[in-house]
Amino acid sequence: MKNNKNIAISVKNLGLSYRDIKKFSIRKTLFSREKSTLYTALKDISFEIPKGQIVGICGKNGSGKSTLLRALAGIFSADKGTIDLHNNTISLLSIGVGFQKKLTGHDNIYLSGMLLGFSKEQIDQKYQEIVDFSELGDFINKPVASYSSGMYSKLAFSITAILETDIILIDEVLSVGDVAFKEKSYNKMKELISDENRTVLIVSHSSKTLIDLCDRVIWIHDGLVKEDGSPTEVVEHYENFIKNQL
Amino acid sequence: MKKFFSDIKKYFKYIIASTKAELNSEVANSYLGWLWWLLNPLFFMLIYWFISVIVFRTKQDYFAAFVFIGISIWDFFNHVVNVSPKLIANNKDIVSKVYVPKYILLIQKICVNFFKMLISLLLVAIMMALYNVNISLRILNFIPIIFVLVIVTFAVASLLLHFGVFVEDLVNITNVLLRLVFYLSGIFYMVSTRIPAPYNRYLLWCNPIAYFIQSSRDCLLYNKAIDYRILFVWLIIGTIVSIIGIKTITKYENSYVKVIK
Repeated sequence: MKNNKNIAISVKNLGLSYRDIKKFSIRKTLFSREKSTLYTALKDISFEIPKGQIVGICGKNGSGKSTLLRALAGIFSADKGTIDLHNNTISLLSIGVGFQKKLTGHDNIYLSGMLLGFSKEQIDQKYQEIVDFSELGDFINKPVASYSSGMYSKLAFSITAILETDIILIDEVLSVGDVAFKEKSYNKMKELISDENRTVLIVSHSSKTLIDLCDRVIWIHDGLVKEDGSPTEVVEHYENFIKNQL
Repeated sequence: MKKFFSDIKKYFKYIIASTKAELNSEVANSYLGWLWWLLNPLFFMLIYWFISVIVFRTKQDYFAAFVFIGISIWDFFNHVVNVSPKLIANNKDIVSKVYVPKYILLIQKICVNFFKMLISLLLVAIMMALYNVNISLRILNFIPIIFVLVIVTFAVASLLLHFGVFVEDLVNITNVLLRLVFYLSGIFYMVSTRIPAPYNRYLLWCNPIAYFIQSSRDCLLYNKAIDYRILFVWLIIGTIVSIIGIKTITKYENSYVKVIK
């Protein structure tokens, strides 16, 4: 795929399973012999994404989409295979991004920003923009625990959308907030995507989103790449597949 | 280990900022705010004073400051060790959304509690002034004691952090053990005089907290020399266990998220 310099993400033979490391209590280990379970989420996934491409990922529930995003974000370690991000910064945007509930929105903006690898000065610059975009107003100085679920997701979306990392991973987030905010975040998404240097991965169940926004769609089924190609084709095949299963 | 130090450098600002934020939120969410950091040990001191002086008729010089030093050190150790088994689960929201080296979370907790310890030590200083305690240069011995205390606390907590992810009811065990250590640490009595002869020495050798508390009192209040050999041994043990803890966490931290769901 093109020349090597422009590759943002390369994934080779990625495999990931939830091994027998389930939580156990001392009582359970002493008094019962449950069989260990091995659940393979990703079997063997390889793809390369060039810089600036918008890639949609589809697949039915439990096919390993979210696991894939988390592995890319460095939250899960791969059991086999490699992920190379070529030194790009990456952030995972999903419903209810990590906040500390006791802290205020203000503190959480700074802390999340810092965890994403931004300096305090960089966050200072963008702070007002984040608050404005999130439409939280005075709530920004209240503990996040007092937020409604809509406000929570709005803030989460605003932070990742405005503190721009090189690669953005989006996990079904376009259905955040009320109708107006949905519209606004959809437009913001488009704006982010229009930046040629930004690589975006979107996990979505909405065919509209996939066809409208993406340059390419990867269909993941049972931990394998089932199809990889232009959005209209892949989405059509995917929809037919789902219909046949009903 | 290289990763550990570069991570500390990288996340240094995060640690500071989140420590501040956590302290602030504690202040903002209660009516008396930061006064609790003073009132808490103060009330405990009154309780211990009642039990020891009124009920058991103990005689102890500078009793208020004496107990206060014990409480300050104990509270630090107790709080850090107490939260560590549940630390990853409590920070589930962060841990499952962004990569952060897990010992950074622990260091942040240590900073929060260290700050609180400093505040109650400030009270100790005030009491020492009120009691007119004779102060000599021996007071400087307190600095290495606190240093080793932090290392030992980190060592214990880092192991608990790791195993706490996998063992659900580890908290119950640590609670019982902490209670035991509490009574064996001489927080409201003097280990060397109140416990009969050979056992008091064994206790001071084997229980680092008892040793830290006793030597802090010796150097701050009673102008006595401290036993540097024991301090040195605990420094070595603490460092080795910390390294083991850090290595274990680094090796397994990316599996933690798979477990806490």
